[in-house]
Amino acid sequence: MAKVRKPDLVVIGAGPAGLGAALAAREAGLRDVMLIERDVELGGILPQCIHDGFGSIVFGETLTGPQYAQRFIDRVEKADMDIKLNTMVLDLRPDRSLTAVNSRDGILEIKPRAVVLAMGCRERTRHQVLIPGYRPAGVICAGAAQRDINIEGLMPGRRVVILGSGDIGLIMARRFTLEGAEVEGVYEIMDHPGGLTRNLVQCLHDYDIPLHLSHTVTFIHGRKRVEAVTVSRVDGNLKPMPGTERLVPCDTLVLSVGLIPENELSRRAGVVLDPATGGPVVDERMETSVEGIFACGNVMNVFDLVDYVTHTAEVAGRAAAEYVLRGVARKPEALRVRPGRNVRFVVPQLLRGYGGEVSFYFRVSRPERAVRARLVTGGIPLAAKRARMVRPPEMVRLRADPERLVEALSRGDLTVEVVPEDEGPERQG
Amino acid sequence: MKDRAQGHLREKLNPELPASARVVVVGAGVIGCAIAREITRYTPDVVVLEKENDVACGASKANNAEVHSGIGEEVGTLKQKLNVRGNYMYDEFVAGLGVDFKRQGLLIVVTPRSVPPEVAEKMSPEQLDELLRVRIPEGIVAYGEAAGIKGLRVLSREEVLRREPNVTPEAVSGVFDPNYGLVCPYKLTIALAEHAVINGARVFLNTEVTGIRVEDGEVKGVITNRGEIAAPLVINAAGVFADEVAEMAGAGGFRIHPRKGATLLFDRQVTSEYVRSSVALFRMPGMKKERSKGGGAMPTVEGNLQLGPTAVEVEDKNDTSISAEEIEEIFERFHYLLPSFPREAVISAFSGVRAPTYEEDFVIEASDKVRGFVNVAGIQSPGLASAPAIVEMVMGFLHELGIPREPRPDFDPVRPATPRFAELDDRERDALIRKDPRWGNIVCRCEYVTEAEVLAAIHSLIPATDMDGVKRRTRTGMGRCQGGFCGHRVAAILARELGIPITEVTKSGGPSPLYLGETKDFLCSERVGHG
Repeated sequence: MAKVRKPDLVVIGAGPAGLGAALAAREAGLRDVMLIERDVELGGILPQCIHDGFGSIVFGETLTGPQYAQRFIDRVEKADMDIKLNTMVLDLRPDRSLTAVNSRDGILEIKPRAVVLAMGCRERTRHQVLIPGYRPAGVICAGAAQRDINIEGLMPGRRVVILGSGDIGLIMARRFTLEGAEVEGVYEIMDHPGGLTRNLVQCLHDYDIPLHLSHTVTFIHGRKRVEAVTVSRVDGNLKPMPGTERLVPCDTLVLSVGLIPENELSRRAGVVLDPATGGPVVDERMETSVEGIFACGNVMNVFDLVDYVTHTAEVAGRAAAEYVLRGVARKPEALRVRPGRNVRFVVPQLLRGYGGEVSFYFRVSRPERAVRARLVTGGIPLAAKRARMVRPPEMVRLRADPERLVEALSRGDLTVEVVPEDEGPERQG
Repeated sequence: MKDRAQGHLREKLNPELPASARVVVVGAGVIGCAIAREITRYTPDVVVLEKENDVACGASKANNAEVHSGIGEEVGTLKQKLNVRGNYMYDEFVAGLGVDFKRQGLLIVVTPRSVPPEVAEKMSPEQLDELLRVRIPEGIVAYGEAAGIKGLRVLSREEVLRREPNVTPEAVSGVFDPNYGLVCPYKLTIALAEHAVINGARVFLNTEVTGIRVEDGEVKGVITNRGEIAAPLVINAAGVFADEVAEMAGAGGFRIHPRKGATLLFDRQVTSEYVRSSVALFRMPGMKKERSKGGGAMPTVEGNLQLGPTAVEVEDKNDTSISAEEIEEIFERFHYLLPSFPREAVISAFSGVRAPTYEEDFVIEASDKVRGFVNVAGIQSPGLASAPAIVEMVMGFLHELGIPREPRPDFDPVRPATPRFAELDDRERDALIRKDPRWGNIVCRCEYVTEAEVLAAIHSLIPATDMDGVKRRTRTGMGRCQGGFCGHRVAAILARELGIPITEVTKSGGPSPLYLGETKDFLCSERVGHG
């Protein structure tokens, strides 16, 4: 077998998170950065996202997925790093050593000084939401369908029912329609849509595709290829209501029923995961519970905007570089950042007090109007932000002033909460 | 080079039926293939006919993969006798096939729910404790030993929980049966079929039997959708359709009533250590009849937890659907036995259809109505476990009917198996990649399946020609993402190797295409027709 390689940093995954982290690390002065990607090209899922809306925060303009990715790919290619495409990491161990494989090098043994996890996420499948029925061809996840159409040039369906109103489901409703397929409707088990408002308008309303809230698919018909699905209305406990079944003929069921951070390697390395996010517990430098292993992007939790992915990647990349270059030891003490009222989860989950501005990302549990999001400790707000409307699909970013965070360190754990606007002692921007 | 490979493949996929054969086996499930393999020990002239486009497409692909010991069966039935003997023969049965077989054992758990409430009510607490702790487990052991099952052991509550920490803390005692084994049923079937082919058998897929030729009370041959084969010996191993095939010969007299069983399969990343052996809850005979004869929680040979199966009588022999009720029933049933099982880690759910007769016993007979016609019917659980003994019994008839009793000196005892990248160590992996770089190209990221393995499956003795065929041989698409990432890659390799457009690649043969066209294909006027 080939000899052991010892780069400064290995970044696992070359989607927006991996690209951003590798670049940030390189720009922070790390010389020997290895970027490992299991697919045939850089960019992760972005190359298949040919719709626009990417980059409004990072670049102040809206780009398509391939355009957004290309801006990073161009820089990465100039940045002189060891890019390994078609290479799959098989194992990652708590001492940060890893084993990877490709057809040119064979088995690669790598012992980097730091690792950034940027493996992204994968789609929940039909069986994870337990849809009864047969198992024919024609049941496909929305992201896989997007890849088929936009990259492979293949149509996985002609008469389509979409389950789930997440962004990919909505975008695919429009995409199928534009290709001449017929989208019968989008069915959503919750009583509110799962995707961004702009996608509801631009992908469904503009094409007269009906959205059926509080509905789900309760049977898949067809032994060889999907022939129809049964849809039913659900009650307040999301249970299908007998008597509301309706048979919808179709040849394809597209599922947009959620994304799961891809943390199989993290688990092997012993990284502690947060059950609320499905991703690693990280501190404000995006360092996981295993020293020298950092995480960023959708491997941490599923972001709604790629811009946020890039932000976390830059934090992780810089922190990894600092860790290697200056041997910044991890501060042992950490405050917990807890989800409070109407907050489902927060990242980072820990604050160690390295200094510098920190962005907290969180999702609400339920839609609410006229609210104030705030970070508090001991009843004192450290950061706050008003919002006309918060919705579970749309992540909220709350930036906290470095000085106030340092102050907070003596006061104990922090809470992120969403409260009605008229509550709370002070108004802040 | 590639053209030649494709030429071979085309030939392999569309072979002409022979005019005659010494023996014809109808049905390429585990039983049909096991019988065919055994016949080739004595004569190579055996033909297997299968209506589907692959072997193991019926019950053999959708059962719980358990090699039972016989402890659940009624003493005195043929089933029970063949099960105990089959289990005993298993190591020898799978030797040389290149499939994994593991005796993981069965833990029968005794809890207060093992006894009907009306029985418990009439007992003092001491009596009930004595029943659960001593009498029931000792009774199970005595019953098993009388049936010829060796090595059964009574376990205390502590031993039960030490062995399987995830079992209900209400466990009072248990019995451990070390004989239970696990084998992948479709891999076993494929291996048996290939082993038979290595030794001269021919397997014809997409070949449906439409009639049996019988003259003067003797079988003369088999009529298929692709022509006729003359044969003096016909074995009916047609699974749920065995009654219909028997009727074609006038050798019937039994009815198969399909009974569906659904199973939930869990992510092995989460569940590989969840249970070590198969685990089942003991229920006293005469208790509210469970719809399944048992079912349990068990690992697969690959380490996924599986729960089930259910048992639901169905009208349709092809009803492999799963209902919401069945899913709920499995969750409910196992919530008690394994209170913490990871519900959210379900990655797949599947059903198979059992082939019981009304007598609930195997029908294995050389027909007394039609000479040369052998029924191997009513084979439901524990058919997989009984297979070696069923084969032995059938061979008894065949020797009577003229198959030589002397084994062939040139019988090859080994069926070479493709290595599994996922199971090799890094040195072995590296060596393979040095020889063929396609061993370094991971196609399925969840199960670590390489391009080389997919190619081996497509170019094997029983070629995989669709997504499910590749999946059963290599595990592509069997992981957490269920093919979301690797589906299009496998489809592209299939299209390339079979020399067909990708739009002709199917999930499971027949009208099951993955893609209905290329982009822009639907943008023509016909859409107006849809309104």
